[in-house]
Amino acid sequence: MNCDLYRTEMYAWRPGSDEKSFQPLFDHLDSCAECARLFEHLTVSDENFRRTFQGYPQSPFLTSRILSGLAHQRAQAAARRPHWRPWMLALALVPLLVVLFVWVAPRSEQARLNREMAILLSKPPDLEINSTDRKQLLEWSASQLQGPPTLPAELDRVEFRGAAAISVAAHKAVLLKMKNEERASLVIVDAPMTQDDRFHPMQEGPGSASLWSDGRRSYVLLFKGTDQELHAYMTKMGIIA
Amino acid sequence: MQISDHTFDDWVRQYQRLLFSVAYWWTGSGTDAEELTQEAFFQAYRSRSSLKEIEAVKGWLVGILRHCYAQMHRKIHARREISLDEVMEEFGETTDHRSDGADPHDVLALRQALERLDERHRLPLVLFYFQELSYREIAEALTLPLGTVMSRLSRARQLLHENLAMPGALTFANKLRKANLV
Repeated sequence: MNCDLYRTEMYAWRPGSDEKSFQPLFDHLDSCAECARLFEHLTVSDENFRRTFQGYPQSPFLTSRILSGLAHQRAQAAARRPHWRPWMLALALVPLLVVLFVWVAPRSEQARLNREMAILLSKPPDLEINSTDRKQLLEWSASQLQGPPTLPAELDRVEFRGAAAISVAAHKAVLLKMKNEERASLVIVDAPMTQDDRFHPMQEGPGSASLWSDGRRSYVLLFKGTDQELHAYMTKMGIIA
Repeated sequence: MQISDHTFDDWVRQYQRLLFSVAYWWTGSGTDAEELTQEAFFQAYRSRSSLKEIEAVKGWLVGILRHCYAQMHRKIHARREISLDEVMEEFGETTDHRSDGADPHDVLALRQALERLDERHRLPLVLFYFQELSYREIAEALTLPLGTVMSRLSRARQLLHENLAMPGALTFANKLRKANLV
């Protein structure tokens, strides 16, 4: 190692450095009095710098100021933090769940019913039983559903010519084809799809429909025609006055 | 990592001096150093979950101090020259100071010499002379590769020695003359 290289490299050394990697520097010191003097100069200067670096002013209250600042931050954070407890959250969720069950779920089911009625109007299922015997058809229908083989009084005058078992909005149902009106069918769903016994017109692309319920089952009168034609048919059959 | 308030308060007591002194030599002002130290501890408290291991707390705190310094530095574009009177006043005003035999003339000379260095040399140099931080801790605090820290420090020490051998740095030179080293 020559003197120029040493005088650059000596600044890389610090007390506690790996002695082995600096061995060439120390070897050079042994052979060069001028560089040895410079090294001593560097060591003394470093010691002076170190001592001077320790001479900094100090604020006796800085620690307490920092600690009180932190305490203030914590107090502010605690004030901002909501004091929610799990039971409070559960309580707040109750109205939301009520809304979901009372409002959203029936509407979602209604939408599904509408879609499925539209499909039935455009693609009616094949009949599984062909018969004009009302009693036989109602007994067959009752075997597909639950409950007695009866129909509400407003359907007393309606006659059928066949039936098919279907599923509507995940409920068991049967479709009965009317005897004297090719365009009309009755769907009996084994679930209340509406909360009252009033007739609810349903807007369907391929035709018209009317929904009502007796509280246990739902009935949908499907008609391949306009609302006026459906209304006329229902009047004619005494379903509505 | 979960750090309790009690543990963090202990760190404030333990590392306040280190952070303040580093800030003092970085900024060259006792007032700025106080502000910087406080802000660093507040930021550290807010981001305490970012500390990966307890053993690295010192380097982590200095790293946050470095970040705060960069933010402060953007606000202070030009630093004015400081006089010996101001240094003496700064030391005289405080009831508790770590003079450790440091001569205010030396302090002034050192501050002036540091001001002549650019930031990439000044920051590691201050951390180096405190010797409380290892090369690795300095590298982590300044988010620099270890090799870069070593080479910058080597160059920074050389520049500092050269700066303090200039006519403005009389006291250091005198001491060395007394010791027959110059």
